[in-house]
Amino acid sequence: MTDSLLSRRALLRYGAYGAGAAALAGTAASWDRLTGNDIPGRDDGSLVVATLGSAFSPDGIRTLLAGFRRLHPDIKVRINAVQAVDWPDFFAKILTQIAAGTAPDLVYVATEGVQLFARHLGVPLDRWVKRDAAELTEYFADVHPSLVESMMYEGSLYQLPIEFNAADMYLNTQVLQRAGAQLPADDWTRDDFTALLRQLKKANDSHFTPYFWTNRLWGGVVPWLFANGTDLLAESKAPGGSWLWDAFYPADRRQGRGGGFRWTTPRATSGRVEEAYDYLAELIQEGLCTRPEGGNGQNLIGVFSTGRVGVTPAGGFWAGGLHLAGMRADAFDVQYFPRWRTQRHQFGAAGYALLRTSKKQDAAWEFIKYSARLDTLAALFSTNQTTPARRSMLTAARYRESGPAHWRVFYDTLDKFPDTGPIPAPPQVAEVTQVLLKHTGTALASPHSVRPALRRMQGDLEQAMERDV
Amino acid sequence: MTDTTDTTDTRVPVLRPRAATPRAAAVRPSARERGTRLLAALFLAPTVVGIVIFTVVPIIGSVVLSLFHWNVIDPPGWAGAANYRSVFTDSTVLVSFRNTLVFMVFAVAAQLLIALSLALTLNGRMPGWLRSLFRSAFFFPLVLSAASISVVMKYLFNQDFGVINWLIGLFGIAPVPWLTSEHGAMATVIIVYVWQQFGFSFLLFVGGLNNIPKEIHEAAALDGATGLRKHLAITLPLLSPTLLVASVVGIINALQVFEQPYVLTDGGPGDSTRTVVMVIYEKAFEQLRFGEASAVGVLLFVLIMAVTAVQFRLSRRFVHYQ
Repeated sequence: MTDSLLSRRALLRYGAYGAGAAALAGTAASWDRLTGNDIPGRDDGSLVVATLGSAFSPDGIRTLLAGFRRLHPDIKVRINAVQAVDWPDFFAKILTQIAAGTAPDLVYVATEGVQLFARHLGVPLDRWVKRDAAELTEYFADVHPSLVESMMYEGSLYQLPIEFNAADMYLNTQVLQRAGAQLPADDWTRDDFTALLRQLKKANDSHFTPYFWTNRLWGGVVPWLFANGTDLLAESKAPGGSWLWDAFYPADRRQGRGGGFRWTTPRATSGRVEEAYDYLAELIQEGLCTRPEGGNGQNLIGVFSTGRVGVTPAGGFWAGGLHLAGMRADAFDVQYFPRWRTQRHQFGAAGYALLRTSKKQDAAWEFIKYSARLDTLAALFSTNQTTPARRSMLTAARYRESGPAHWRVFYDTLDKFPDTGPIPAPPQVAEVTQVLLKHTGTALASPHSVRPALRRMQGDLEQAMERDV
Repeated sequence: MTDTTDTTDTRVPVLRPRAATPRAAAVRPSARERGTRLLAALFLAPTVVGIVIFTVVPIIGSVVLSLFHWNVIDPPGWAGAANYRSVFTDSTVLVSFRNTLVFMVFAVAAQLLIALSLALTLNGRMPGWLRSLFRSAFFFPLVLSAASISVVMKYLFNQDFGVINWLIGLFGIAPVPWLTSEHGAMATVIIVYVWQQFGFSFLLFVGGLNNIPKEIHEAAALDGATGLRKHLAITLPLLSPTLLVASVVGIINALQVFEQPYVLTDGGPGDSTRTVVMVIYEKAFEQLRFGEASAVGVLLFVLIMAVTAVQFRLSRRFVHYQ
């Protein structure tokens, strides 16, 4: 504007305009209108429980809420089903809610996030577990100590596990029959596994993939590291935890238990890790399995159920998935992961974590306790979309329709192999996962790229572990 | 068109009177002019307020956040230049900038070339309904969600089970590692991106071509100019302002590519398709390092500004206005 000489009249006029605008703005601001607070259930004093959207069916959630309301009519509960692709995506959205000041009271957290939440956001459940020990005795007697230990961090318990999935091997029985192969024995070895893949390859056309795997923390390279007696990060146990073990588990089952896992020094360049990568690189070179980038879980059910894949690692969750996809119970079966130096398996578990920001912590504990009850879990996991943490729920009746015939494998993976452990998930798990996925792709690009890629992985892992999240 | 033989400095007569007669600038506008200005300000206000709230404030916020350590959970802590030092020594960040620039060069070049070729082709003699059909078909991918398209493309380009390898297999061609080799993955991401995006440039070019007076082409034809000569000497120079807009928008969009590489390859194999915006997302929402993510965002902002400034600078030589 070049009009610097403003007359008194103009000044009064502009003043009037300003006053008019302010009056309009004020009227608009005070107008009765809908806001975020008008969304039903928001800020109405409900206990807010955040779940991964696809974790439970709508029927399951309705049953869960109805049952809790009957037990605690004074506690209002609202389920916040967060839609997310995977656990990291889910955590990102929960953190966004926390940043926005709309943190839930309880969050459904899997192994990947247990230590991250425990370190920064979680409330230890120790005092409530001690207080209600009599009520919980039956729960702990029904749940394997490995699952409970995976929910501990530095001596304290942060979640009651309600589900888990170990990486076992699913086999397409029609593909096995076509190749004249039998279901492998419990104690099959890595060499038996390779021989089976070759047999399947020989009996099928070029569009057939004997072994399909997905490049991720659970069910990717890590099961092979476990089988070869190693891990991505050096694993140890935190001290403490005896308050729980002594109270709930007999001597033979609490032996060797501690205060939760610690994952510290990266060991990507160790000989056994290299061996595992070399083995997978050989399978790829021989055309016996998918490349890490080629495999992804999205189309896995389709290619497996139509006989284009012979074998794939999956957990109990897949029984329900294949059944829903229309696969007959006898069209697939499950076996343990093959033995290499060990037959240690990996698993991931999940339960509810109580957030520090919650102002309804006692009510939240009641919900946690309720969610771990046998009748609650039976109603929630009616379609075999996962492996219940309670051993007593794995019955022939549960798997009669959905299969597989060897459904006992799911829980026996814990019972028969007591060293079976959780996937390496320190608080820096997001970066560790990214580094693992990225360098696994590079390492398996060609037979000579394993060592250079693992050296870079080691450097990146060291940087990631040095960072305080 | 600019007459390059005219060396007269046209700024002199404008500037001198202003300096010599300062009161001339202070002539009060009429009431009608003031009313028009006020009306213009009122109409512009919502846009300006929107830009300030949704663009200027976030940019300032990012710059401020880039000077702090913040993980959402704990209160922010002063970092100074530490985040910038960290990202400049982070090989993933550096590779992502290189990938983004490579992507930008090939994607924008392909996008402009395809869009221009198709626009020129459709500008020729063709039934109106057929021209409308093609225009709609070329524009259609642009209105679809990039993430949805990428999910579908991921199935199509799958090395083991994808339709594309099955189709080329019918001709005896071995399966192509579209998404599983470093060069193949980048090429596939570019193909998918260009397929979706060229419709925008195409529409701009169609509009630009319609604005070129037919008389100029007719005059050139009378002078004996052939089709190619007419394109090089008339169409392209007169289309250069549209080309500038298409390339500026194309480059700015390409430098911010995210959905296609994120869904198709997740940045792999290795880091071969990891882009700058992917790194920003990963640092912020997966690794909870919002300060570093903001620092990368600020660097990307500077890069976009620099590239755009260079484009406008160069455009003085190559862009011709009628």
